[in-house]
Amino acid sequence: MTLAATPARTRAPRLDGVTVAAALATLVCATPAIAVIALALISDGGAEFGGALIREGAMGTFGLVLAGGTGAIVFGATTAWLVTLCRFPGRGIFEWLLVVPLAAPSYILAYAYASMTWAGGAAVPVQGFGGAAFIYAIGLYPYVYLAARAAFASQSVCALEAARMLGASPLRVFWQVALPLARPGIAAGGALACMEIAADYGAAQHFGLSTLSTAVFRAWYAHGSPGLALQISAVLLVAAMVFLLVERGARGRAAYSGGSARWRPLPRYQLNAVAGALAAVFCGALIVFGALLPLMWLARLALLHANVQDIVQPFVNSLALSASGAAITLGLAAAIAVAARRATTPLGKSPLFAAGMGYAAPGAVIALGALSLFGLAREAGLVGGLGAALSLAALFWTYAARFASAGVGPIDAGLARLSTGLDASARTLGAGPWRRFAEIDLPIAAPSLAAAALILFVEILKELPATLILRPFNFDTLAVKAYSYASDERLLEAAAPSLLIFLAGIAPIIILARSIGRGRAGVTS
Amino acid sequence: MSSVKVANVHRIYGKARVLDDVSFTAPEGQVVALLGPSGSGKSTILRLIAGLEPLDGGEIYLGGELVSGGGASTPTEERRIGMVFQDYSLFPHLTAGANVAFGLAKLGRAERDETALNWLDRVGLKHRANAYPHELSGGEQQRVALARALAPRPRAILLDEPFSGLDAVLRAELRDATLATLAEAGTTTLFVTHDAEDALQAADRIVILRAGRVLQEGTPREAYDTPASLDAAAALGPVNVFGGSVANGAVTTPFGPVNASHLPDASSAKVAVRAEALTLTPGNDARVVAVRPHGAHDLVRIEAQGVTWRALTPPHASLGETVSVAIQSAGAFAFSA
Repeated sequence: MTLAATPARTRAPRLDGVTVAAALATLVCATPAIAVIALALISDGGAEFGGALIREGAMGTFGLVLAGGTGAIVFGATTAWLVTLCRFPGRGIFEWLLVVPLAAPSYILAYAYASMTWAGGAAVPVQGFGGAAFIYAIGLYPYVYLAARAAFASQSVCALEAARMLGASPLRVFWQVALPLARPGIAAGGALACMEIAADYGAAQHFGLSTLSTAVFRAWYAHGSPGLALQISAVLLVAAMVFLLVERGARGRAAYSGGSARWRPLPRYQLNAVAGALAAVFCGALIVFGALLPLMWLARLALLHANVQDIVQPFVNSLALSASGAAITLGLAAAIAVAARRATTPLGKSPLFAAGMGYAAPGAVIALGALSLFGLAREAGLVGGLGAALSLAALFWTYAARFASAGVGPIDAGLARLSTGLDASARTLGAGPWRRFAEIDLPIAAPSLAAAALILFVEILKELPATLILRPFNFDTLAVKAYSYASDERLLEAAAPSLLIFLAGIAPIIILARSIGRGRAGVTS
Repeated sequence: MSSVKVANVHRIYGKARVLDDVSFTAPEGQVVALLGPSGSGKSTILRLIAGLEPLDGGEIYLGGELVSGGGASTPTEERRIGMVFQDYSLFPHLTAGANVAFGLAKLGRAERDETALNWLDRVGLKHRANAYPHELSGGEQQRVALARALAPRPRAILLDEPFSGLDAVLRAELRDATLATLAEAGTTTLFVTHDAEDALQAADRIVILRAGRVLQEGTPREAYDTPASLDAAAALGPVNVFGGSVANGAVTTPFGPVNASHLPDASSAKVAVRAEALTLTPGNDARVVAVRPHGAHDLVRIEAQGVTWRALTPPHASLGETVSVAIQSAGAFAFSA
């Protein structure tokens, strides 16, 4: 009854609950993606417009990844450098506030800025390709910021000090020493941001852009061609895998030694008054445009135009769907985390990789995979028609495959705190298995489990494309409601569900910001 | 409190024989040191006594009661054995007071809290009862772990490298304080160490281990004065080793003869001479090739006939000087090779 990992001794692999659950989790995470590839290979998408649709979508996705990704990398890397290696007014607050734009998914930012443009409230109209690129850059730069911040913080103080003693200016140190040293971290964060851009459906769709993600929907709904949708999905999946491999590879090279106990505070440059003010304005602008402005705008619209009756049911549906989805996914994530901690062989780590694969894959792709598998099962006579129950099952499957990986990290952090020594201590003090579970394992791991559950809840609440494809007929969630209002150009009414999603997204960000704050509190200078 | 008897214990991990026929007894109320280098199996012995691991042969008795082996296996939680782990393993979510109270679940709440405070007081940490482990220094954590292990009045207490990971000054201080607490509690104590000085200073009996075997068991005096083997001699401090053959009941080394009357003449032998058993006086036997301060003494390297020995002596000799060497028979031993 203990969650603590057993010591890794040479021991024959055991076929116990954890192993079975982990194998099941691997299957759940990996099969939809594998099904997409397999079915794409055997299906004849063969419509004459298929090639054009893929080409156009690939061009669109490539352009957006290039423009939005570059923006995210520039914003993320500069802010990370500023808060870790410089001193300027408000630095301590910016350090954790800079992650806040992660709260809103891209499509919510898109609706907020589109309604602002429509109302004539935006100085520069946010629309089309430029609008989408702006939204990706401003909304996704925190991925780069987090990874680059870790990379800058773990840099050898000596290399930086040596460069300064050799007379290099702050800017030269940044370009020639700090930036090259942080490159793996920046690449890892940039790959994550690009992965999100490629997977985005809502924002690209709203700005009328052709991307691989929107092409999946067009092939499926407009052209009624599941085969073509699967082929486009396969292309998208390959792109996602490339980003995943870049991220994993870069993260492997980045030396994440920030967690070391002997952490030495980095000597920071004191920026002069003008530079300091510019730095504060820059960081402040990202927070304002990435979070504060859209949040307040949506709040204003929601207060003025909300049709409360229309969003009560979607609100309840979202809560129910997210809570049950989070519970299921948490179970899978826990099995993967426990198994990975126990694993000593590459095979034992395979659940982790499968979960990572699911996380990289766009929601629409996973949903299509799950749907196709259910379709095959129906053809084989294994299940009946795709009723509400089956469609919910496919939806939960998609959520689990897509988000298990997001739960593994926090759960693993909790497991890391349960050492075998604690278990042994409690035993020598006369505590039986139940008392050890209730008074040691559970209280120690509980905060991490709660954090994982919250993160999963919000991820599912924000998820749009898979929910659109797999939701039972007439089953609206907040995300679906916001999407359908926005699609009908009823942006004023889209504000209320958008605001609720935005607000929910802030909760996990607080956890993230608190962990950044804790990292600082441990520093004694 | 009870005696602890380990009889012919074996432990095997995969193909590695971690413990090979280990036997010794910790008499009731005494402090016993298990001394050995890392990998000698000493920590495994503690885990077997605590019942945290199964043994692959032999028996373990607590106060005459069979707890491991011969078909018996009393679960750890029913053995009433206290243990202080090398990393202390304090519960991070409980205060120092609650950590100490954890093992007192059978008592009523008021009595439990009072007993816990009382034990914290004994280790001088009553004022830290409400502090969490991460707020305590390394030395304080060790003392809380000791109080926690002693509070349930265990039949015996096991300490795994209790003084490692602390700086030298703190180490000696903490060792003395720990010993005082243990003596006051009167609990049978087994502690594991790789430091000969800890073992000699703190223990009533020493068990010298190497590669899963017991080299020698005895009082510190016995172990130091009459080592059972070359390895046992080397385990308690630096020794100089010289191989030669026995002639007229002695082995002649470049620095003088060592008594070997218990070995047959003309047999080959190895002698071990403790560094502190060499006395240097002005003379012409050997040359001083290096001098290093070593506490109150100097560690002096002396060379004669191409052989270099180490001598631990009061600081008289200086570099390049020639000296006369006397070997004190109490610190010189010959073993058949």
